Amino acid sequence: MRSSDFLFFYVCVLAVIVACRCVPLLALGGRELSPRVSEALGLIPPAAFAALVANDLFDPSTAPDVPALLSALVVLAVARRTGSLIWCALTGMAAFALLAVVA
Amino acid sequence: MTRLSREDLRAGVAAAAPVMLGYVAIGIPCGAMAAEVGLSPAVAFLLSATFYSGAGQFMMASLALAGTPVLSMVASVALVSTRQLLYSAALSPYLSDAPRPLAALFAATVTDESFGVNMGRLAGDPAWTPGRATVVNLASMLSWAFANALGALVGPALAIPTAVMSFAMTAIFICLLVGQSWSRATAVVALASAGSVVALKCLGAGSLSVLLGSIAGVGAGLAFAAWERGRS
Repeated sequence: MRSSDFLFFYVCVLAVIVACRCVPLLALGGRELSPRVSEALGLIPPAAFAALVANDLFDPSTAPDVPALLSALVVLAVARRTGSLIWCALTGMAAFALLAVVA
Repeated sequence: MTRLSREDLRAGVAAAAPVMLGYVAIGIPCGAMAAEVGLSPAVAFLLSATFYSGAGQFMMASLALAGTPVLSMVASVALVSTRQLLYSAALSPYLSDAPRPLAALFAATVTDESFGVNMGRLAGDPAWTPGRATVVNLASMLSWAFANALGALVGPALAIPTAVMSFAMTAIFICLLVGQSWSRATAVVALASAGSVVALKCLGAGSLSVLLGSIAGVGAGLAFAAWERGRS
């Protein structure tokens, strides 16, 4: 990647990322939100995490990734039992590595 | 300006520790990929500390390696980052009384994982201040940036299976999803969101799928809640 291309890419993407992260939080700050808006905001976390999981596990351009899907089930069980991010991350990587070798 | 106590730092770093370990595991292969497209460890650190986006940085490296035109790279990585709009709006009520510089620093360092760690605490723990939440963000960001720099430094010498390491990120998302406060409306939201992502990816929405799928999930949840209110 040429330096000029990288610099262009970096400046453009950084501007978008900073705007997406900062503008809503700073623009809404201090205002009373309506109950409906508050209700909608409360639904964002499960919506976002479910979308991210589905995005990671499903790729329409390839066959179903069986090791990833089975590893996700293992992580689900660990998450329900421990609620620990690090145990989920370590178990998930170990299960995925093992199942990828077996598959 | 809010002053942070030693207790704030300890509590923030303790809460961030699992995310930091996960970021080290994912950051090293991400840095190794950055080195493959010609970034030095110092530039990988700078990029990681400012972009601070695992999905965006993995995407940048893979697109660059595939020879994608730079404008297409900008559009793809920018689009995948737009979900941050939702997190920023959701966190806004909890930062309304924080000093503006602290609120800006906090906002600029939110990620999927730190959002999950902070959101529940900000909503349910009166002792969880914006200062502590910002410590979580900064500690996580530094672990991510140092891991990327390390990956760019030693990555070429290691044969790291990137797919295995990046599955840590998926596992963290699953854990954060499972840890939500579950109700029938939550189940509707999660199912609608995941189903929408699958449908959108089949339709070729690509990197927009996460943002649009999340919005569809929230919409379905609101409709379900309104329907439940109408029944009672």
